[in-house]
Amino acid sequence: MLKVQDLHKNFGDIVALDGCGLTVPRGGMLGFLGPNGAGKTTTMRALFGLVRPDSGTITWDGEPIGHRERLRFGYMPEERGLYPKMKAHDQLAYLGRLHGQSKIQASEAADYWLDRLGLAERSTDPIEALSHGNQQRVQLAAALIHDPDLLVLDEPFAGLDPIAVETMSEALREQAAKGKAVVFSSHQLDLVEDLCEDVVIINEGRVVVEGRVTSLKDAAPIRHLELELEVEGDADELLATLDGVRATSFDGRRHTVLIDADSDLRGFLARAQDAGRLRHFSYTTPSLTDLFREAVQ
Amino acid sequence: MTSLGTMWEIARREIRERGRSKAYLLTSLITLLLVIGIIVVPTFIGREADEHTVGSIGEGNAEIVQAAEQIGNAAVEPGDDPNVVIEIVVFEDRETANAALESGEIDVLLVDGEEMVTEGGTGFFGSSLARLLQRGAATVELEKLVAESGEAATEVIDVMTSDPLELSSLSGEDPSDETGTIIAYVGLMLLYVAILLYGTWILTGVTEEKTNRVVEVLLSSVKPWQLLAGKIMGIGLLGIGQFGLTIVVAAVAIQITGAFDLPELPIEGVINLLVWFVLGFLLYAVIFGAAGSLASRMEDAQTAALPVTALAVIGFFVSITSLDNPDGLLATVGTFVPLTAPFVVPVRAALGSIEVWEYVLAVLITIGTIVGMVFVAGRVYAGGILQFGGKIKLRDAWRSAGQ
Repeated sequence: MLKVQDLHKNFGDIVALDGCGLTVPRGGMLGFLGPNGAGKTTTMRALFGLVRPDSGTITWDGEPIGHRERLRFGYMPEERGLYPKMKAHDQLAYLGRLHGQSKIQASEAADYWLDRLGLAERSTDPIEALSHGNQQRVQLAAALIHDPDLLVLDEPFAGLDPIAVETMSEALREQAAKGKAVVFSSHQLDLVEDLCEDVVIINEGRVVVEGRVTSLKDAAPIRHLELELEVEGDADELLATLDGVRATSFDGRRHTVLIDADSDLRGFLARAQDAGRLRHFSYTTPSLTDLFREAVQ
Repeated sequence: MTSLGTMWEIARREIRERGRSKAYLLTSLITLLLVIGIIVVPTFIGREADEHTVGSIGEGNAEIVQAAEQIGNAAVEPGDDPNVVIEIVVFEDRETANAALESGEIDVLLVDGEEMVTEGGTGFFGSSLARLLQRGAATVELEKLVAESGEAATEVIDVMTSDPLELSSLSGEDPSDETGTIIAYVGLMLLYVAILLYGTWILTGVTEEKTNRVVEVLLSSVKPWQLLAGKIMGIGLLGIGQFGLTIVVAAVAIQITGAFDLPELPIEGVINLLVWFVLGFLLYAVIFGAAGSLASRMEDAQTAALPVTALAVIGFFVSITSLDNPDGLLATVGTFVPLTAPFVVPVRAALGSIEVWEYVLAVLITIGTIVGMVFVAGRVYAGGILQFGGKIKLRDAWRSAGQ
């Protein structure tokens, strides 16, 4: 289990981390969320000793992390980086060797992952000859080559087409199912909701929300309301009679309203039906996007 | 994997990838062709004699020219082609002679065996002819003086061009043996080129890893000093390979063509050069590595390395001075300054004008500096390598690694 507690880090006058923490068990997949500049990348770098925190603890299975433990971790940094002129297979095998694999092990693992990610035919191509999406796949393979116990991925889905997203998601699910601890950051919250049981949302270097996605939704004091109205007169006037509205938006057809969970909707529904037709009505727990917006605003 | 294993793995990658790169193969090939060309081509062309034309007005000029020619060819074995050929053109009056001098038809004009006229300044090559003629004239004068004693002119010239003093040295070495000078001179050139060339590889290699961001992936499993040390090891071996091959090919080419009288290389001379190549390369490589870590873009890398390159240039010039005056103050100071020592010490050693204690002390100082630099530059590297965006200040890199 990875346990990060109370990390603090200042860069000069800038506070990057202000008590950040997270926990990922083996077999768990954690979505690590936050707006740009919240401290996600700094936290991930700290796991690999690339940033030295001013204070706080990072442990793996209860032990402090050193160089030897890190060899059992896999990392995909936000800024992708591989040797552009090196062949895909050689590149992966080299990284496997650096993580302590034997020559044969590393070479076989490189073949396995290139095949698994649909790049078997490109294995002798230099990285720079591959498309952006394929480079991303090699980058994922670089994080997985040594069969790590912990997988740390910084924005693994950024810039991927839907098919590549599918491949990536499947690979991550499989790793978690094999008992690996997986933590990744992303701005694609639908995807996170789909993949992760647990999330941590940080803002300005602090944890603002953490827990099981389903519990967070149930416990949230807000609800997500979607309406499609066909009214004579002004729909906005009608909406204005709602109590406890947090935010509204309109896409030309449907109104989306974020509303207090204890608001009384019965009166509103009656008024809406009087005014015209209510073509669509849904009242649900908030989406992860709603929770995120609430947490960081 | 052990630390050494990791470093070796990094070194191997450098050797494999760089060794196969077009740039490496091309520079190796060009160097080889150049060396072979320098050695082989002259043997086909053969040696050309210096040909001069001297104008003559009045009497007494022919003897001077003849004596000058004899002096110029004093070192030529009988039966070989001459080094110097001087042709005489006789003029009746001064005007035509001056016109010929101006048009370049003649190089120099001699008048009555007493006056020498040139067109303008003699220039570097013209002066060698002028000097020969002066010596020729002096010989003719001398000949007149000794004429009463009955000696012939050729004998006077023999005496003048010989080294009548028997030469010996306290150390027992043959002082006329120029092997030491050749090793010093060639060795200095090789050291300078090699240290700067391979140092620049380190510099650009380090910056490259930052530019393409692969360094973050690498440093998630490798310590910064391992990465730097592995890189230096790989490029160092690659450099020794390239230079070694060049030297072997040069030696073989000389053997086959017989282009030069190859002095028998003394083992100490070679060891001396090798020791200082390794020391000098290590010292500069570590500093170049730190400089490279301070730049985020290739364009900034050269700027970051400028102070280092400047030091190497200073070392080179101090060393050139030492070639002439290996016991001078500058040479002595340069021996104990770590960044100039790799250029100065091997030259002084090759010339046989360095005390054993000086040599040993210089080696120790340099090794000490390398060890110190590994810590200093290693810390700068560790701090600079993960900071992106623009040029990183030395102080910031130092501090950030210390935190």
